[in-house]
Amino acid sequence: MIHPNPDQALSKCIVYFTDGNSRTFYSFDQKHKKSKPNQALGIRRLEKMLLQHFKGTWETAIIYENVPNGKELAKFKGGIRVF
Amino acid sequence: MENNSTTHVYFDFSKLFTATKTFIDTHNQNHHQLTERLNANHRATAELITRLYAKQLNQAITLGEDITKDLPGFKTFNPSLASCKGCTVRTIINHKERLKAAGFIIKETHRGKSGIELWINPTIFKAKKSSTILNNIQSDIQIIKEVYDLKVKNLHPLVHEQQELKNNNSTVDKLVTEKEGVRLTAHKEIDNSVTGTSQEQHKNIRESRNSASKKQKKMATSTNAKEVDSAFLLQLVRDFWNYAKVLLYPNIKLSQPEETEILNCIWASVYRKFKITGSKKDWEGYQEILFKRIDMVSRWLDRNPNRWVPPPHLYFNPENKRNGFNKTYEWFLKQELLKKEIRNQILIQKTASEWKDHKKGIGKHKNKTRLQLFRIQQQRLSQYKDDRLLQLYEKSLHKVVNM
Repeated sequence: MIHPNPDQALSKCIVYFTDGNSRTFYSFDQKHKKSKPNQALGIRRLEKMLLQHFKGTWETAIIYENVPNGKELAKFKGGIRVF
Repeated sequence: MENNSTTHVYFDFSKLFTATKTFIDTHNQNHHQLTERLNANHRATAELITRLYAKQLNQAITLGEDITKDLPGFKTFNPSLASCKGCTVRTIINHKERLKAAGFIIKETHRGKSGIELWINPTIFKAKKSSTILNNIQSDIQIIKEVYDLKVKNLHPLVHEQQELKNNNSTVDKLVTEKEGVRLTAHKEIDNSVTGTSQEQHKNIRESRNSASKKQKKMATSTNAKEVDSAFLLQLVRDFWNYAKVLLYPNIKLSQPEETEILNCIWASVYRKFKITGSKKDWEGYQEILFKRIDMVSRWLDRNPNRWVPPPHLYFNPENKRNGFNKTYEWFLKQELLKKEIRNQILIQKTASEWKDHKKGIGKHKNKTRLQLFRIQQQRLSQYKDDRLLQLYEKSLHKVVNM
């Protein structure tokens, strides 16, 4: 299985869990190995992860552009997308 | 070559062909060194240039340009000539060199991105005339005389004259099928056999990458048809998305990359990448229809809470054949037809009741004759400009009158 590569990912998601932990996830932006990266696809996948896989286990989650000083793309609080 | 109206100046290829032939024959007669002579292949290139140039000039004339004073040059591209002839660009360049040395091409200007411009010897393109029949015959006779005066065929061939013996048009012994031989998509020509340039398919199968003629065509359309600027078209996409977002996805929150993706999807699926050319008015009309379609979908959603549309990146995806937005077009058509049908029925019912009243001698039209009533009704219905409505009216009229 191919895992997201932190160096190549276009966006990243920092999740602050309810138990106090925090973790960064990187987006996987390709449909298949050689396809053109699609940032929107990566964001949708992160969103799906938050709202389905980690449902109820986190308090805040923020999706950033995976570049130094990247701006916030989306923010989730308590299972709801804020922007 | 198409004939223009009798008063216009035009270039007839057959005469240009003869003139080209005469020119090359005379040149070959005066030059005996092989490196100076024009062989059959050079001849073919010259004929190709002549034909395309004549076409260009005739088109310019039909577009209303005045070229009686000085002829414009032949604007072309080396790769397009090469793909037309089925040879490489280098060959075309070499042939042009030879033709320049022979005086067939008198000047050549390189215009970089917009190709090259060739000026052909005016002795060939002097055959510019008003095409009255009398003139044609006279000039024909003159040209025939000129050709016969040269007595090319009666001379004993001192040197092997390949171009006279070899029939370029013949496909015999060439292993070229007729269909393969004729291929001139670059210049949109159906009949390619005029110049005798049999295409060498094994050398150049594909159209050259930067097909010049395509660019030329594009340039021509953009100047002629006054294309709508892309800013306006892209604004249409944005407007459409904003409208759809408000009505279909009121609670959705999207980041910028997601929005861009959706806009791209709409551009590809709803507007078909703007491949269809149309005026500003056409596009505005289409936009109106699109808004109506969105309204229709939103009304359909409102009627039942269990109904849903897929998320926007799927709903507007060009690959979505199952539940995409494009399917609403059929739905819209059906609805419009139904609306029209109902309107027609109401109108017909009204006419029928008028006839009934008229028979009884009551109503608005009681003092009018039957013909007058018919005329009034016909005029009223013809305002809708609907043939089907008039047919229905005739049918109902038969019923009512024969009752």
